[in-house]
Amino acid sequence: MTDTLTPVLSDIWDADRSWTLATYREHGGYRALARARELAPADLVELVKASGLRGRGGAGFPTGLKWSFLPPPDGGPRYLVVNADESEPGTCKDVPVMLANPHVLIEGVAITSAAIGCEHAFIYLRGEVVHVYRRLLAAVREAEEAGLLQGLRITVHAGAGAYICGEETALLDSLEGRRGQPRLKPPFPAVAGLYARPTVVNNVESIASVPGIVLGGAEWFTGLGTPKSAGHGLFSLSGHVRRPGQYEAPLGITLRELLELAGGIREGHRLKFWTPGGSSTPILTDAHLDIPLDYEGVAGAGSMLGTRALQIFDETVSVVRAVSRWIDFYKHESCGKCTPCREGTYWLQQVMHRLEEGRGTPEDIRTLEDVAGNILGRSFCALGDAAATPVQSGLEHFREEFEAGCHTPARDLFPYEASALATAGTASARGGREVTA
Amino acid sequence: MTTTQPAPTGQVVPLVEVTIDGVRTEVPKGTLVIRAAEDIGIAIPRFCDHPLLKPAGACRQCLVEVATPDREGTLRTMPKPQASCTLEVSPGMVVSTQLTSEVADKAQHGVMEFLLINHPLDCPICDKGGECPLQNQAMAHGRATTRFVDVKRTYPKPLAISTQILLDRERCILCQRCTRFSDEIAGDPFIELQMRGARQQIGTFDSGVLGFAGDAPVGAAELDDSGRPFASYFSGNTIQICPVGALTSAAYRFRARPFDLVSVPSIAEHDACGAAIRIDHRRGVVLRRLAGDDPAVNEEWISDKDRFAFRWQVAADRLVAPLVRDGEDGSGPLVETSWADALDVAATLLAQRRGSLAALPGGRGTLEDALAWSAFTRVVLGTNDVDFRSRAYGGAEEADHLAARVAGSGLDVTYADLDGADVLLAGLEPEEEAATIFLRLRKGVLAARTHVTVLGPYLTRGSAKLRATLLPAAPGTEAEVLEATDTFGASDGDRPRIVLVGERLAAAPGGLTAAAALAERTGARLAWVPRRAGDRAAVEAGLLPILLPGGRPVADESARAEVAAAWGVTPPAAPGRDLAGILDALRAGELAGVVVGGVELEDLPDPAAALAALEAVRAAGGVVVSLEVRRSAITELADVVLPVAPPAEKAGTFLTWEGRPRAFAAVFDTAALGDAAVLGLLAEEIGTPLPDASMPAWRGQRVAAARLDAPAPPEPGPGQAVLATWRLLLDAGRGQDDEPHLAGTARRAVALMAESTARGLGLQGAAEVTVRGPRGSVTLPLVLAGVVDGVVWLPFSPRERAGAAALGAQSGDIVEVTA
Amino acid sequence: MSESSERAGGQPEEKRRGLGGAIGDLLAPVAGFGVTFSNMFRPTVTEQYPYVRHPTAPRYHGRHQLNRYPDGLEKCIGCELCAWACPADAIFVEGADNTPENQHSPGERYGAVYQINYLRCIFCGLCIEACPTRALTMGNDFELAGPTREGLIFTKEELLAPLTQGMLGVPHPMVEGTTDRDYYRGEVTGPTADQIAWVERERPEDPTLEGARQAAATKAVR
Repeated sequence: MTDTLTPVLSDIWDADRSWTLATYREHGGYRALARARELAPADLVELVKASGLRGRGGAGFPTGLKWSFLPPPDGGPRYLVVNADESEPGTCKDVPVMLANPHVLIEGVAITSAAIGCEHAFIYLRGEVVHVYRRLLAAVREAEEAGLLQGLRITVHAGAGAYICGEETALLDSLEGRRGQPRLKPPFPAVAGLYARPTVVNNVESIASVPGIVLGGAEWFTGLGTPKSAGHGLFSLSGHVRRPGQYEAPLGITLRELLELAGGIREGHRLKFWTPGGSSTPILTDAHLDIPLDYEGVAGAGSMLGTRALQIFDETVSVVRAVSRWIDFYKHESCGKCTPCREGTYWLQQVMHRLEEGRGTPEDIRTLEDVAGNILGRSFCALGDAAATPVQSGLEHFREEFEAGCHTPARDLFPYEASALATAGTASARGGREVTA
Repeated sequence: MTTTQPAPTGQVVPLVEVTIDGVRTEVPKGTLVIRAAEDIGIAIPRFCDHPLLKPAGACRQCLVEVATPDREGTLRTMPKPQASCTLEVSPGMVVSTQLTSEVADKAQHGVMEFLLINHPLDCPICDKGGECPLQNQAMAHGRATTRFVDVKRTYPKPLAISTQILLDRERCILCQRCTRFSDEIAGDPFIELQMRGARQQIGTFDSGVLGFAGDAPVGAAELDDSGRPFASYFSGNTIQICPVGALTSAAYRFRARPFDLVSVPSIAEHDACGAAIRIDHRRGVVLRRLAGDDPAVNEEWISDKDRFAFRWQVAADRLVAPLVRDGEDGSGPLVETSWADALDVAATLLAQRRGSLAALPGGRGTLEDALAWSAFTRVVLGTNDVDFRSRAYGGAEEADHLAARVAGSGLDVTYADLDGADVLLAGLEPEEEAATIFLRLRKGVLAARTHVTVLGPYLTRGSAKLRATLLPAAPGTEAEVLEATDTFGASDGDRPRIVLVGERLAAAPGGLTAAAALAERTGARLAWVPRRAGDRAAVEAGLLPILLPGGRPVADESARAEVAAAWGVTPPAAPGRDLAGILDALRAGELAGVVVGGVELEDLPDPAAALAALEAVRAAGGVVVSLEVRRSAITELADVVLPVAPPAEKAGTFLTWEGRPRAFAAVFDTAALGDAAVLGLLAEEIGTPLPDASMPAWRGQRVAAARLDAPAPPEPGPGQAVLATWRLLLDAGRGQDDEPHLAGTARRAVALMAESTARGLGLQGAAEVTVRGPRGSVTLPLVLAGVVDGVVWLPFSPRERAGAAALGAQSGDIVEVTA
Repeated sequence: MSESSERAGGQPEEKRRGLGGAIGDLLAPVAGFGVTFSNMFRPTVTEQYPYVRHPTAPRYHGRHQLNRYPDGLEKCIGCELCAWACPADAIFVEGADNTPENQHSPGERYGAVYQINYLRCIFCGLCIEACPTRALTMGNDFELAGPTREGLIFTKEELLAPLTQGMLGVPHPMVEGTTDRDYYRGEVTGPTADQIAWVERERPEDPTLEGARQAAATKAVR
């Protein structure tokens, strides 16, 4: 394991007009595709399997294994769908990849399509990021015009703004023009996915990592990261750090190392809690600074690596407030299909707001715990579980703050201005610091 | 609820051993855990699960704890409780339900609490109160008090989805049973989920809810042919399967409570499908009808007509006492009299004219009624002049067809056969005329087990829902098209072939002959689907001039001898007159009277001629005796009217189109008598008691099947078109009287024709067309559709305005069409 | 009286002897009149009904009454829970739909038909407990006898509480902006000007209009 940055996907982000085909090719782009075309599809699948690449969308399912689940070709179409519906609070890795270097994704799509025998690939993009949509459309056109796709059709589809469409089966329903709600599994997408045909659904970063593996080889990839969590990944640091941003590093790096790279917590403050992979992953505290950020390490600490969206909160932040905002999000984004998520988030929101306003009761905290427990593991898809985890982990680590919500508003305990990075009317973040200084 | 096991067709399904709450059981592979538990008597609570709908896993009420053996055979408990309604059994699976697992119990309690937080708990005013799965579940497993002190989600209520269905979104638990039914079973997605999260709701297209800013919704589901918001013929089923009081019936709203109601299983009387229903009544008044559960026939679904049309039986014009003519000479108005007097008068009048009497018994009776009519005609009236047909009709060809291929044929083609066959429909529009067949065909079609081919002038919406292949045929050319057809269906003979001929095909000369020939050519089985509940029974009872009970030909001496042995009276040997012959003879004075039962004048092929015939026989001193439930055009002409009981007030047996007996008991014990009882009294009064007429099917030689060559097809001249018409499910039929809520969901009457036809008739851009026939004209909105060229389609008898019935023309006749 | 003799016979021997031998035997016949004699000197309790009427106990289960909200709307929602609860099957209810033109009670549903058969009623009060809106209560009226069976089936008109001064006759709309829950919580205290105007428009001759106007005016002053 190395403790330095390993820019692979982010390698050419600083290049001039990095998103263009010309720039990408200057930096060796599309060589992997050429090499992949020389390989048999089965060998490509084996290569990715051997690399140990695991899904970068959060669940960490081995990508090559997923591809190998496709039934043998029967003459009918098979699809690749790239999940670019990045909507998790705190997660911001796919959008920069596609914004700065869309061609690495296109190349990955082309290689993956060759590997699984797909002739029509889809990129399901979160609809709000119109600028990325334009970049992707332009990149697909460029690649097509340059004759790189060789008959492969790539359709970039902009979603209509629903968190649930990041769930792969809901994404497929949405892509088919239906209501975006998760499907019953089985059948799994590998057997009956898009238009009931065998379909591979992968995250942007997973697909974008494929060209590197083809060029560098499985051994290069396994050389990065830890034995069970191979390779590099984008770590998105946000919140109260001095230099928030994307840090591409081998899996297994610790938050302490990342914080060093990012210049540490903002001046005069200390880490209070953080999420390892977006709001859906249970929060961790400063006790977990040294756990390796790989799938096993974070799971061992009782959380999940998720999307490596590290939201850093310093001591000025009220956990109750943060959890309350997340619950607002989950309540707003619940698709409504299953009871626990639909009704549970509706209830949690009202209780959280009461606690935040200092009007809670001791009964509320018990209710909160119980309601979260009744959502977790009872919902149709994993997004229901995601709504319960902030509450449960918040209660686990900071129960006293919730209890304080029975008598004192969160705003009184943790003045909201103190955690602001910029105050109204001030262009810099300095204003926020001065309040607490 | 029924247990449906997957994969019904033929192949042996391996059994899987599972343990549920410590009970080992073996169930077929692919069985859902919830069904496997049900099989051994363990009820897992559920809302979204329905055995006839695809699993949804939406409500999460049925969570159970599941452990499965891993590769080494060690039992591993799944980390999360699983929804038993979506989980299929696997070998060695160990399931712990709420009865044995605290995890499952806790999960179910949690879900129940979630379901109730946004539920208004207005059970006292809710129609479902007392028979509500949510209420029962909450009483059995819910918390006694609520912890939810927050704000409930509220909506304006109720929302009228259609004139017959009201939606209360506050009560809805979003199990999606209704939307899944509409989509999967009926094929009419008239309601759909909208919004998301806690604001998710069921609704029709509502621009207010959807924030829709355009002019009109898009998609076939939203509007019917005429551009009116769409209503389904099967929407009433959603009320019944709603596990809460979110969908309620407008007609039944606030009328009663379940504990008031007495439920009686019965059989629907509106078509020949024999759908099982449940009649709920309170203090002598039928308040609602629900679908019964009969997997062999209607599964758990019925049409809205079967569900909502029942008040005709107690309409204001219901006959309660016999009527006779006032005055000595019998020319006065009809007045009520006693049964004794009426029977005396009728018996005297009939006995005087014995030998020159005929019977028109109609096709709405039970098998018992039909047999009584058959015996009454042969034994008491002493004639074979009897014909049950009182609708579009095919004379001798049809009679021969029925005698040769239908009568006494027993149970041949069944509903189950329709699911898994290549089916040709000729002269039959199942969604309009045989709703249960439609649903069964659709089930097969969706599962890719059935393929439907339709012979007709255009691909109707119903046929489109059956993904049918159209064999285009203008009315009058059916025989020609059938003759030119070599094969049908999607399989290469792997699947059995079935030809279903509707009663309408008989009206096309040569049609039945051609259909039978096609069936023979393709090795298909042939079945006849009438519209009326009593038609098949009438055929079995021999209510045709050439037929005796059990398919015995009148002309066959040994058949007559068998009947004579059973009855003690030898039936007349000469074949009688059929409907047209009887009416002609009445008009000509060759017959001196007729006994009519359950015939609606308007249904006859030529109502005006029939009216003239009845008037003529009375003018000539003849007699008309009518057995009717309600006053009708014929009772007004009769000398004696004997009231008979509607289905709710008598017991009997309907025969379905398959020939399946469907016995039902009387709902009410009233003084009203069924046809059989009235005919029995009348026969005794005449002095010739009716024999018990039931006898087994005929084993001897049958009537030879008719061979009729198709005549030349009609050729419309300039300004003319060929009329195509049939009855819609919901129309002006008297069986749907007094049902305003039901009537509101009928299709709007429109005239359909092809664009080319309209152009040829100079009707480009016309909003309305006037169609003129021999007896009148109707003006209807014009809708361009893919109808065969030169044909104009009109509904036969819509409720809101005049239809083809007013033209005095039949399907296949030439009519004039102007703007 | 087998019970008392049994009890006497069951007394222990010593106790009987303890009464005092011969004197006891002498007074024994008279002792039986003890209750009679003592009551001769107490005041008479025979009630001279119907000439003199005593009030019943306050919670006496008498004739039923269907109550109204202060603006005159009926409390009964026709839910039939009373009929359900009734062990004697004495209550018959049929609900109906409240419409804007024909609003009898707050909310969607009202009792269109309401009958109590006092030949069957056993005055147990279970109906009162079942009533979710406290529409049905029992008064103290016990004079329920009559010459015909039909007459003892009390209809809704007979059971409905009379409109008191200030109530507005039904049907009329609910107080604007309220729900049935507001009514139940007692937040409606009398008819409003809009309700009065509605009745004036629909039934100008309604006798309750004057009283309702006065009540509304007094409230407005307050």
